[in-house]
Amino acid sequence: MDTSSPAAFVNGGLLRMHIGRKVRTVIHVTRSDAGSVMGKSTDGCQLVVRGSPPAPLTSYVEVIGVAENENSIRAELWTNFGDSFDASNYDQLCQLANGELKHLFL
Amino acid sequence: MQANEFDGNAAFAGGGFMPSQATQTAPDRPSSSSKNSDARCLTPVTVKQLKDLSKVGESGISIDGVDVNNIVLVGIISKIDNAVSDCTFRVDDGTGWVECTKWIHEHVDSVEVDVISVGMYVRVYGQFKSIQSRRSIHTFSIRPITDFNEIAHHFLECIYVHLYNTKLRPRMTNATDGMTAQPQVANSNSGNHIMGYSYQTNSTNQFSNQYNTDEEQIRGISSMVLQYLRRPACLASEMGVSSDIVARELNVSVDKVRKTLDFLASEGLVYTTTDDHYKFTDA
Repeated sequence: MDTSSPAAFVNGGLLRMHIGRKVRTVIHVTRSDAGSVMGKSTDGCQLVVRGSPPAPLTSYVEVIGVAENENSIRAELWTNFGDSFDASNYDQLCQLANGELKHLFL
Repeated sequence: MQANEFDGNAAFAGGGFMPSQATQTAPDRPSSSSKNSDARCLTPVTVKQLKDLSKVGESGISIDGVDVNNIVLVGIISKIDNAVSDCTFRVDDGTGWVECTKWIHEHVDSVEVDVISVGMYVRVYGQFKSIQSRRSIHTFSIRPITDFNEIAHHFLECIYVHLYNTKLRPRMTNATDGMTAQPQVANSNSGNHIMGYSYQTNSTNQFSNQYNTDEEQIRGISSMVLQYLRRPACLASEMGVSSDIVARELNVSVDKVRKTLDFLASEGLVYTTTDDHYKFTDA
């Protein structure tokens, strides 16, 4: 993990605030091809993640990478998060981590 | 019989090992007991919070005005350096990275360390160490994470403890009923450890002893305040020291300091020079 730039917690809506920067998010995989994965963010947006996902891929996967635009990420690190995950909990965390508690993270 | 109370330790009178004796004397020295019980607590932190520490003293660090010694971190292993007597992991939690060193003394230690690999999410319990400005974690325990909700949970805990220490804790000294209801949060895994300042899974006695009354708290910091006012610089100053400065230097809220100074003034130990300036009444 490139540690010179910390990764911001994002959901679909927050991704646009960090374009060009390192982000991390969890998506619910809807489709996966060789070079990209499509999934739903924790706030219900459709996101595309480019890169080579691990095989096999679980339903939820955390992606750490660089935000290319407001709905796509170029992944550097993939982590399978299993088939059950509390997406709404993670979503709340994203909102808090980008709000007034940002100084604890970035 | 010299024991005041009839308890199990009376049977061991004179044996030397009387743990309850130690906790019984603790309330008599509120300032040192508060320091001890603070250090025994476990604080969830992000690496960014550790990196933001402005002053790292020998006696330990403080975050949000609270002494912190043992910490919990959750992150990904990005590097492992395995030696014979120790293993150093670089743990990256997305807010920064820090080296965590686990010393290998016994078989259990090497078993613990063998299951960890690069790219894995882990939970680290340890003590923050800063040696020649190189910051690291002396690791007590490092375990892989299997339920990934733990990751979100850890960061939410960091947020909670931060908000608690910065907003709720200072306000508690002014509350008329002393301690507000403490939320008991169930720990997600092997919850034998005592966490933070806001909730303890094993007992709340330690905590409630500290914050039961304003009085006990004032007594706790009055020795700190007196010590500060007895410094040569403070004694020499004709004007005395304002309560704001005392609060800042001691890392205590201004409200608490003011109450303490009022108490000390009523005892005749300090006196006011001008508005809000205090001096120690030296003989």
